[in-house]
Amino acid sequence: MKKKSIVEFSFLFPALALFILFVLYPFIEGIPISFTNWDGLSDNVKYVGFRNYVRMFSDRHFVNATSNTLIFMVIEVVFSNLLGLFFALLIAKPSRSNNIIRTMIFTPFCLSLLLSAYVWKYIYSDFFYGVLGIPSPLGDKKWVMAGLANIAVWRDAGYCMVVYIAAIQGISKEYYEVGDIEGCNIIQRFRYITLPMIGPAITANVTLLLSWGMKVFDYPMAATSGGPGRSSETVAMLIYGNLFTYFKAGYGQAIAIVFTISIFLLSFIVSYNLRKREVEL
Amino acid sequence: MMKSRGKNVGKFFHTILKWLIGIICISPMYVAIIYSLKSKQELAVNRFALPEVLYWENFSQGIVQSNFFNALKNSFITTSLATIILTVICSMASYIIARKNNSKFYNSVYFIFVAAMIIPFQSILTPLYINLLRWGLVNSLIGFVLAKSGFQVAFTVLIITGFVKSIPRELEEAANIDGAGLYRTYWQIIFPLMKPVIFTSVVLNALNIWNDFQISVTILQKQSVRTLPLTQYFFFGENNSELGLAFAVFVLSMIPVLTLYLSLQKYIISGITSGAVKG
Repeated sequence: MKKKSIVEFSFLFPALALFILFVLYPFIEGIPISFTNWDGLSDNVKYVGFRNYVRMFSDRHFVNATSNTLIFMVIEVVFSNLLGLFFALLIAKPSRSNNIIRTMIFTPFCLSLLLSAYVWKYIYSDFFYGVLGIPSPLGDKKWVMAGLANIAVWRDAGYCMVVYIAAIQGISKEYYEVGDIEGCNIIQRFRYITLPMIGPAITANVTLLLSWGMKVFDYPMAATSGGPGRSSETVAMLIYGNLFTYFKAGYGQAIAIVFTISIFLLSFIVSYNLRKREVEL
Repeated sequence: MMKSRGKNVGKFFHTILKWLIGIICISPMYVAIIYSLKSKQELAVNRFALPEVLYWENFSQGIVQSNFFNALKNSFITTSLATIILTVICSMASYIIARKNNSKFYNSVYFIFVAAMIIPFQSILTPLYINLLRWGLVNSLIGFVLAKSGFQVAFTVLIITGFVKSIPRELEEAANIDGAGLYRTYWQIIFPLMKPVIFTSVVLNALNIWNDFQISVTILQKQSVRTLPLTQYFFFGENNSELGLAFAVFVLSMIPVLTLYLSLQKYIISGITSGAVKG
């Protein structure tokens, strides 16, 4: 009996060990670091209590990074899902041409975020400005986050679409037949049949893109380096900068912890509310 | 009569609209490709028209200047190693988690994996970096492979476990009666049955590792160990004025990913729609 459970545990052990060593253990180690004034280099470490945690809320760079990240996340979640759903409705019926179009729309999702950012940087400056005369949003403090979020929407709308197509194809034809008998028009069909039936897909997509949006790092690193000024610096970049550029590892770690808790809470609240609505719809 | 004509017009616009959307979605790649084929002089006068002469020198020079083959080698080694490690250890872990679903211990481990998927890399960045420094794994491809694999464990276990639950237990029970040990049962009976989900996890992990920037930019800082995305990042910073060159390197690094996507598309889509993908 005992030998059996050791053999069983040996199946789990390598994966668990790797996870503990490279994720869980550093995560726990990070908690005490967040209560110090450590610079990330020297042996000179002093505990400062909750000072890092108090300080960030009056730190304008932290407030700035938080608001940039939230703007990015909201645009990314809303537009990737709206466009993804719209594309899905257009091409949900399985056919040869629809398959080709699905492949085209999903292609950007396979490219690296970095490449996406660079290509768009030049589409903004050479096409939007050079050809259409619209200034690049990446050079404008007010529009830079929207410009970056647009890159993410381009890349992730295809992802949302694929999930919505699967959900739409899973709806039983009978519902639509009943709808036709009742004389539903196309909008009523969508509102009273399709939308309620794809509720779980909406929940999954919104929750997932929310966490992607909050963690945004690659796009601003590549396309703007956080500029102009610090107007596109995100929380993820701020934490990275505190370790490698500003030498405030302790403070950065405190931000990282608050950041993690916020993503947990936000994901939980959003998915809880969406799930509750799934039933009501 | 009127009605059917209205329907045809609607269908016509529907067809135009969906092809237009498809084309708009891939049009940014057109930019990357034509930029990569134009000389600096031609780029200065015409950006979006098709190139007058195909300037292949961008590719030959880009390969040399960016040390492309070294980066390709690094990307290839890290991606394949990490994907193999993840496939072997996570499929085993998923199997035992799925089969021991009445055990408190295995259920809690599973729960921790699910919760850990939300953890942003930044929250472990500093301590992980310090540990890797101490263990001599900074600027080492193995260090990146291990850290990246560790970070992908939770996600991989999650997609595979869902699938294993759908494999009937009868097959293993028959093998047990025949006296086969757990390992033999697993590798000879269960693992072959997992083929579809293994493909899915291999493709999704390979794409993710190949495109990784966040973890690699932290761990791989020396030029000799840079992967393709890192090479693009630094090469682009240095060659802002040599656009053709920079985009040639981009186009080259796009080829493996697009090949993988176009040939194994089925597994990517099925993996995403299984509803378990929460990278």
